[in-house]
Amino acid sequence: MAKTILAVDDSASIRQMVSFTLKSAGYDVVEAVDGQDALDKANIHKVNLVLTDINMPRMDGLKLLESLRKLTHYKTVPILMLTTESGDDMKAKGRAAGATGWLIKPFDPKRLLEVIGKVIG
Amino acid sequence: MVEMQSENNKMDNQIAVESAPVDQDAALCNVEVDEYFMNIKGELGQVDRLVSDAVNNLVINFRYISKLTQSHHDMVLTIEKMAAPEGSKPILELLGKQMIIADKIEQELETAITSLQFGDLVTQLLAHTTRQVEILNMELQRIDRQSNWENGQKTLYTLHEGISKAVEVANAKGKRKPVVQQGMQMGDIELF
Repeated sequence: MAKTILAVDDSASIRQMVSFTLKSAGYDVVEAVDGQDALDKANIHKVNLVLTDINMPRMDGLKLLESLRKLTHYKTVPILMLTTESGDDMKAKGRAAGATGWLIKPFDPKRLLEVIGKVIG
Repeated sequence: MVEMQSENNKMDNQIAVESAPVDQDAALCNVEVDEYFMNIKGELGQVDRLVSDAVNNLVINFRYISKLTQSHHDMVLTIEKMAAPEGSKPILELLGKQMIIADKIEQELETAITSLQFGDLVTQLLAHTTRQVEILNMELQRIDRQSNWENGQKTLYTLHEGISKAVEVANAKGKRKPVVQQGMQMGDIELF
């Protein structure tokens, strides 16, 4: 059974590119347009990994990360941050909030799949 | 279409993301200055819409090309299986070359996916610049209003001082840049 990845980004083009890359590798993808949308969908779908942007309207990626970590099912689910933010302070915040990894945009499809494969097998 | 509208609204969304610490007490009073800054904001929005529209279309095109390449790849494999090994060496060699071409196209498409992410970076930078312009507008409006209250003769020095102060405040209030990338090479990856 294919593993499900929740891809969160307010940019439609980034969502399309992430989704296309992941689907080509055999993953099921659930897309969300911001943190709030992701939180709603995370409660409906059984997700194996979350890949989220940080700067988004309504709810940003760090707030989403904190909210997901409070949910029983998401305490151990890998959450990767895919963002333009590269500052050490932001990374430290993400790490403290329970992020599994930090990927700086632009992403390379092959490397993205390698990292995801490493994290969820 | 919905995705396109959503992308077109992204600039507003990005501005909403950055719009935390704004002084609401700066009532706009200088219509000309406000109009000037609104025009700049409008033009930045137009650039963002054009870039987003182009990127969305390109992503759709590249996805279609990728599907066609995959289909071509599968077809070559099928023909390869059908071709009898004896006496069909030239055909197999040709098919082998076709496979190399198909693989190269796939590699190029992956590179294109990395490059196409410039749209997202540009949108975030434009939203940041728009926000800076908005803050500068508000600060200049505040100076204009204060000088009206003082009801005095504005000297060149006080005008210069006021503008410098406005830029300084706008700089201080502007959030740090959300994008620092100078090129489209792949970003770093760190697993915690």
